Amino acid sequence: MTAALTALAIVLIQAQEVKVPLRFDFYYSYEKVVEALKALNTAYPEMTKLDQVGKSEEGRIIWALTINNPKTGEPFSKPGVYVDGNIHGNEIQASEVCLYLANRLLTNYGKLKEITEVVDRNVYYIIPVVNVDGRAHFFDDANNPSSNRGLRISVDDDRDGLYDEDGPDDVDGDGNITTMRIRDTLGRLRTDPSDKRLMIAIKPGEKGEWTRLGQEGIDNDGDGVVNEDGEGYVDGNRNWGYNWQPPYVQRGAGNYPFEGSGIKAIAEWMLVRPNIIMVFAFHNNGGMYLRGPSFKAAGELPQGDISVYDYLGKNIEKIVPGYEYLISWKDLYSTYGDFTDFTNNLVGSYSFVGELFQVETETFDGTMMRKQEERSMFGESSDAERQRLLFNDNVVQGGQFVEWKAYKHPLYGDIEVGGWTKMSSRLPHPFMLQDLVHRNASAVIFTAQYTPKVVMDVFEVKKIDSDLWRVRVRLVNEGVMPSVTHASMKNKLYPPDILSLTGSGAKVVSGGVLKDPYMELVDYKEYRPEVQMCQVPGSGKTEYQFLVSGKGSIELRFESAKAGKISKTVALK
Amino acid sequence: MRITQFSATRGIVLLAAALLAFPWSASAIEKYSDPAGVNKRIEQLRQSSPSLVKVHKMAVTPGGREMLMIEIGKAGTAVPAVMVTANMTGTTPVATEAALSLASRIASDASLPVSHTWYIIPMGNPDAYARFFMKPLWSDPGNATPFNDDTDDQTDEDGYNDLNNDGLITQMRVKAHDGTWVPVEDEPRLMRRADAAKGEKGIYKLYSEGTDDDGDGQYNEDAPGGTNVNINFPHLFKSFGKRSGLYPGSAPESEALLKFAFAHPEIAMVFSFGTTNFLLAPPQGGRKGSLDTENIRIPREIGTALGVDVSRTYTMDEIMEMVQPMLPPGMTADESMIAGFLGLGAVVNPLPEDISFYNEISSDYKEYLKKKGVTQERFDPAQPEDGSFELWSYYQLGLPVFTMDMWGLPKPKEEKKESDGITTESLEKMSSEEFLALGEEKIASFLKESGAPAQYNAKMVMGIVSSGQMKPAQMAAMMKQMPAPKKDEKKGDPKETALLAYSDKHLEGKGFVPWTAYKHPTLGDVEIGGIAPFAENTPPASVVDSLLDLHLPYLLGLVKRLPKLAIAETKMTDKGGGVYQLEAWVTNEGFLPFPTAMGKRNKVPAPAIMTIEGDGIEILSGKKRTPVNDMGGMKSARYLWLVRSPKKGTVTIRLESKQAGIDSEKITIGG
Repeated sequence: MTAALTALAIVLIQAQEVKVPLRFDFYYSYEKVVEALKALNTAYPEMTKLDQVGKSEEGRIIWALTINNPKTGEPFSKPGVYVDGNIHGNEIQASEVCLYLANRLLTNYGKLKEITEVVDRNVYYIIPVVNVDGRAHFFDDANNPSSNRGLRISVDDDRDGLYDEDGPDDVDGDGNITTMRIRDTLGRLRTDPSDKRLMIAIKPGEKGEWTRLGQEGIDNDGDGVVNEDGEGYVDGNRNWGYNWQPPYVQRGAGNYPFEGSGIKAIAEWMLVRPNIIMVFAFHNNGGMYLRGPSFKAAGELPQGDISVYDYLGKNIEKIVPGYEYLISWKDLYSTYGDFTDFTNNLVGSYSFVGELFQVETETFDGTMMRKQEERSMFGESSDAERQRLLFNDNVVQGGQFVEWKAYKHPLYGDIEVGGWTKMSSRLPHPFMLQDLVHRNASAVIFTAQYTPKVVMDVFEVKKIDSDLWRVRVRLVNEGVMPSVTHASMKNKLYPPDILSLTGSGAKVVSGGVLKDPYMELVDYKEYRPEVQMCQVPGSGKTEYQFLVSGKGSIELRFESAKAGKISKTVALK
Repeated sequence: MRITQFSATRGIVLLAAALLAFPWSASAIEKYSDPAGVNKRIEQLRQSSPSLVKVHKMAVTPGGREMLMIEIGKAGTAVPAVMVTANMTGTTPVATEAALSLASRIASDASLPVSHTWYIIPMGNPDAYARFFMKPLWSDPGNATPFNDDTDDQTDEDGYNDLNNDGLITQMRVKAHDGTWVPVEDEPRLMRRADAAKGEKGIYKLYSEGTDDDGDGQYNEDAPGGTNVNINFPHLFKSFGKRSGLYPGSAPESEALLKFAFAHPEIAMVFSFGTTNFLLAPPQGGRKGSLDTENIRIPREIGTALGVDVSRTYTMDEIMEMVQPMLPPGMTADESMIAGFLGLGAVVNPLPEDISFYNEISSDYKEYLKKKGVTQERFDPAQPEDGSFELWSYYQLGLPVFTMDMWGLPKPKEEKKESDGITTESLEKMSSEEFLALGEEKIASFLKESGAPAQYNAKMVMGIVSSGQMKPAQMAAMMKQMPAPKKDEKKGDPKETALLAYSDKHLEGKGFVPWTAYKHPTLGDVEIGGIAPFAENTPPASVVDSLLDLHLPYLLGLVKRLPKLAIAETKMTDKGGGVYQLEAWVTNEGFLPFPTAMGKRNKVPAPAIMTIEGDGIEILSGKKRTPVNDMGGMKSARYLWLVRSPKKGTVTIRLESKQAGIDSEKITIGG
């Protein structure tokens, strides 16, 4: 067992040399992620820029890689696709998806037509590790698959005036926080006859064998309770400034929005990049792509936005088989102050949360365990666990489960310690990582083809009178996403796009939306007709008509926060 | 709520009139200090008491002004603290004066800086406050963050214009086909809405004074002004609201306060000087959406997991009982955990236990005003705004919060009513017999004036009072919950009427600019005039001292109401065999609970901790560190330990609370 663990540790942690193209058969530590970003930046100095976004509570740097082809324009002239991961410290494969995406885009630019096109079309903002402290501690410390999720902000969970003084302890020193159990004939569990490593609930009349004592640990502060005040807990994904609610409403919220220094830094970094129209935030697990809203009271999104999400979400379901496209509050539960509500509402973007990995894919018989029964709130079904142990034994040759072994506990006496390791359960085995990162990065690449792309067509300049011209302009959006999200329009988050007509010898007499070119129906704007505020719908067009008096040439300019700028000069003739 | 301090000291009114004080002109500058002047006075205070006063820079505003904090005290974070903020909207000059005056009163007091540390922020919104000293004068709570109000292609491009050059931004009235306003019959200077349902046609349209600078057909729709610091806090924050900011804490001023408050758990009470007044108008319930802890519906998914019937409702206690067995050992179900688990959302009404201390202090304050000879009625203070600093301090810090507006517009004396001076206040104190003795006629006219529904006629009310079903005090409480009686619409807004009367009488009419004709570039013939900015909430500079002399001592006295935890008595019982029972009575000597009920719910106030220490003792029962999380005002509780000590020794029991003080006792055991 020890040998297997050591072997695994070598594979997982003492990762190979980092060089481009990046490899994806191991997990990158925080330091290795930074190395990988620097390697990409060094390999593609023209196409990439590496920024320090801010620092975490423990002073680690949050890095962002910007991918932009300067030959097709500067970043703000293009839609921004933002991708991040690992806001929960334990959800580490999210960062590999980010790195894979960057690596994929850069190493295949100019080679694959589809990749070349999406690189030229957009700018990519990639923050592989949001919770940098969490990732570092997940790798370095003893953990279980779900621990080290939060930010490094202390909370006095047991309200005894001391902070984080009694968390779990790796009593057997194997680098994992597993489970403690004690022999107890009055216990409610017995050994599973089909696999002695598992325990099952006793039926009425059966005799018990075990009582589960909880996570590995001792009573560090001598208050008679074990593991009652562990590290944290402030959840980075409950600390954003849109519809934030305090900790008594939702655990992990933090004392106030943006208490997390890294969270605040990322928010500020995004807010000065108003071109961001698409956001992916990767988490684990369950195999889901979630869209907002995140809480019921928000009501449904505008129908125009739902159509965009539905188109993208239903295609992503095909790109990543088994994953489901779902609505956050409705299909899971309500959350407050989470990242994608911030980006939807205050950045004005479309946003998906990608919940990576389905543990059901780790089976011995090769078929994915279909979402068996209901997923219970209080532990998983044993059928699934038996399959996973067979997978552990026969497919990956161990390393995912620590066999029960005796331990002399200072409080409980003779007990046993064992269970799933930290690299199990929520993370694919490295041999399956390549598939996971590729498919999910492909979901991003697929989506990136549908960012707004507006072209302008001055399709008519007609002389009406000696000094009067009729100018008709068409704005066509070749993307699926509108140039301004419908939610942003509804919330009046920022000024919509501007279509303006200027000319030194020309005066706009009137102008407005051309509702029907045949009937000549125009919705004329009474004031300042030379400036029209607009939104170009996804896969659609919007047309304007101007009556211009004067002569010479005129300039028509379209300016959009998300869809770039276009300028056309035409002569009045 | 009907009392005013205005005629507090006889002569204030006369004095005001005599000095012709005009708060928004030159004489105001002599009294009210501009932001730089405020900071200079803060520095002067520090220099005059360097051992007591420290000054901290809290934030630099978007307009480049410094928001300073005065720390006064001898013991720093070792004693409970009071946080005082003022002028968070930047539109209440008297609030800044009050905070500065409070600071100098504390610095010159022998005891106040010893028992408590004071954190005073006299100017919570320096950018907005700076407008009070600029010409033209207008009132806007936004700081200097650029904000594109009309989401067009320009920012802050269409502000007000002082067209008549009087230094004030007032209103414009324009005759228009689609006008909705008409002059008030008896007072043509004031305007009221025409009632089309009664066959009235509007004559005028009203605009704020200015031109359409950007030519978009709207007037003054994008004036400079970004975030109102006062409503940039996270309780009931209004997303996309006017001046509310992008997110709670998005303004550097409010962010600094969020950080400061959580970094200072010794803060035990909050004062805020601005537009509201919790002493006259204590916080009230009634907002929709608050949790009814007696009737909780369990969501289906959770109900299934718990195995309970979701078609009925449960009490909080029942749910706690259901959940407790499912929790890991050592974890105790409490209200806050259940509320979070069931997704019950934020508390939006003050909790009943807290309303009762607010009401008690409020009636004490009203008594105080009476004793000081304040008899004149004033208009009710403003209600706290959603997202405001004061709401946040109560709901999210869990602290007792007292707010004060220092001044309110006096209500004009009304002609004697047929009800002969019966008010809800006098009703409160009446016995049933006294009430019935008023007679049917007086009771009927009182009911009518109070706007009681028609079915509550005098006969019926007298019936229920004489049968003992209801006491006059209960009736008064009911009437306070009723909407205010419908005012006579033809008379216009009573507050404006009062302001006009006040201006005519005490300000030589300068609180109101008479309508005068003006040729507007786009609107044509208009009239410019109306109520002067700040007239409604800013007392003449000359009366400020006497107002502060009245209110600040009362506020300072509230410090004595803070919870104070102490070990009242200890006892040792020898149980034999080297085993001793130790006992300590902990008492809250203060009036206010530790913590407030809201603090109990949100678990933000740090718990008081009892520790027990002694050489060679072994605790057999009880904890080494015992949290004291709930100690009502004037209440006591007993704590027990069983210890074993083979030899004679001393045990120290220590009680420590950041907010409610420190105490310790020694007990000799053994031997």
